[in-house]
Amino acid sequence: MRVLVVEDEADLADAIARGLRREGYAVDVAYDGDEAVDKASVNDYDVVCLDLNLPRLDGIEVVRRIRADDVGQPTRVLMLTARDSTRDRITGLDEGADDYLVKPFDFDELTARVRALLRRDAGRSGAVLKVGDIELDSSRHEARRDGQQLPLTPKEFALLRYFMSRPGQVLCQEELLEHVWDENADPFTNTVRVTVMTLRRKLADAGDSQPIETVVGRGYRLREQP
Amino acid sequence: MNPPGWLVDRLPEWARSIRFRYTLLYSAVLFGLAAVVVAAIYLVLVMSLRGEPVSPTYTKRICSNVSDRCVTIDYFQAREFTRFVNSVTLTKLRNYSFGALGVLFVASLGVGWVVAGRVLRPIGRITSVARDIQATDLSRRIELPGPDDELKQLADTFDAMLARLDAAFAAQRQFVADASHELRNPLAIIRTNVDVALADPHADPDELRHTITVVKRASDRMARLVDDLLALARRQEPILEHEPVDLGAAVAEASDDFVVPAAARQIVLDRAIAPDVVVTGDRDALKRAVANLLENAVRLAPARSRIRLATGSEGDRAWIAVADEGPGIAPEDQDRVFDRFWRADKARSRADGGTGLGLAIVRQIAESHGGQVRLQSKPGVGSSFVIWLPVAATPSSTGDSGPAAPSSLAPVATPADRARTRPSFGPPAE
Repeated sequence: MRVLVVEDEADLADAIARGLRREGYAVDVAYDGDEAVDKASVNDYDVVCLDLNLPRLDGIEVVRRIRADDVGQPTRVLMLTARDSTRDRITGLDEGADDYLVKPFDFDELTARVRALLRRDAGRSGAVLKVGDIELDSSRHEARRDGQQLPLTPKEFALLRYFMSRPGQVLCQEELLEHVWDENADPFTNTVRVTVMTLRRKLADAGDSQPIETVVGRGYRLREQP
Repeated sequence: MNPPGWLVDRLPEWARSIRFRYTLLYSAVLFGLAAVVVAAIYLVLVMSLRGEPVSPTYTKRICSNVSDRCVTIDYFQAREFTRFVNSVTLTKLRNYSFGALGVLFVASLGVGWVVAGRVLRPIGRITSVARDIQATDLSRRIELPGPDDELKQLADTFDAMLARLDAAFAAQRQFVADASHELRNPLAIIRTNVDVALADPHADPDELRHTITVVKRASDRMARLVDDLLALARRQEPILEHEPVDLGAAVAEASDDFVVPAAARQIVLDRAIAPDVVVTGDRDALKRAVANLLENAVRLAPARSRIRLATGSEGDRAWIAVADEGPGIAPEDQDRVFDRFWRADKARSRADGGTGLGLAIVRQIAESHGGQVRLQSKPGVGSSFVIWLPVAATPSSTGDSGPAAPSSLAPVATPADRARTRPSFGPPAE
């Protein structure tokens, strides 16, 4: 899952990015509104954590532009605001933000809200994803197969979560790179292929079949039934 | 038309209204006038028509032969008979007049009640709308319709007052919103960094050190902000300290703190401080105003530029001037630089440590001393701030001490140099 953090306070933006990366998200940071719109137009983010009070381009305007650019699955916008007036929140929500959080916030609440926003698209209500015999609890950061815990790195965890949020769909390397890796990933390396490979090996070690299959020439698919 | 308090307290509710009092006044005046007129007419008539009761001149008894009945006939003289008629007429006139006056009094009470009600109706409207407005929101106005009369003027005055109140409250609300915003941001930085660091059980020392550095930076910023907010809040009222302050000494003292920071950025700090200028006020506050101006200048001026600080007096006014060769302020922003939390470049100056309150504090200090602060600035050339203060009323200090005028400031700069590098220090346009 790819997240864009838009926040002009560099110390805050970097801490949010660091914390979210540890949760297995691919995180990019923008320090002003223009940069945010630029990045959102180039990359397909799943969630944007957006400060409303930004230099150059106001947060509300950023939401509008992100919404205008939305094609296919909408980008979820979580607005962060240091203003607690109801009017600001109403404006933000009306302009297309999906949720808001008033600063200062508990970081666990931020991650919980990000997870909740991601669940909206998947049409699920709980934090636990289940496909076949694989279970993934994104709040506790645990993945199991047949009840056996999988020793995944954050990147593998994020990759598995992306597969599990789109079971049965064929996902190409570009899409995985776009949603699971941040902008610092080099698109010309085989990092996606390598990570998919290690993930598949760990999944195979915990069960008797390989749930992620290669669709030749197109990408990978997580089988819905083992 | 103001009855004594003890009387008012005993009256029923309706009798305390201005409408009732105007009705009474109206009908009393009308009744009095009518009584005077009627009395005058009556007196004139009494004087011109002499009326007296008459007694017969002689009486004759006449008896009828047929019916054997007798009547007594009184004989009057013609003149006396006229007088008798006059007397009867005057009596009738008097009685009718009393009756008419009574009816008039009652009628005037009714008419007075109705007329007073009509005249006072707009006031009732003004009252009810004003009451409504103070209970709901100040953005509404009375907007009394009708001709431009006294009541309309009253309502318009109310509206103007409401507009001022509304603006004052809005400014206050904005300030609280801005202050909470400014305080919440460093709080959010501290909290998020601590949360993220705590959530990682394997954080290495470098990462923790980084977190601590960030937290320190944010808490420093909060401390500065709280200082400034308190300074602003404390100086809401006119100054309490009224001691004579040697302006030159105070300014020199305040500027000493900036010699090292300026040198660190290779900025030359020129000081041209006139001796013997004495103002009345709060020495610490004045030092703070100078420090705030210098802080901005040192922070924003490019390296290897020059900052000029000068003081002096002109007539009965003293001045402190700070000029830099910094980025300057765009003309459209020059009115707003003294607003609380206004920043030319939000991101940059916040990172530099500016709270956005420095110039607001300068203005408040100047104004609480009965002075003012003026800005001249040209983008790309530099800015100069001049604080004007009334000098203390001691004769020795109002003389020809110090530079003659702010325009003679900066002895090191030639006029051409000055024109090129900064706007001249003229007295503020008033």
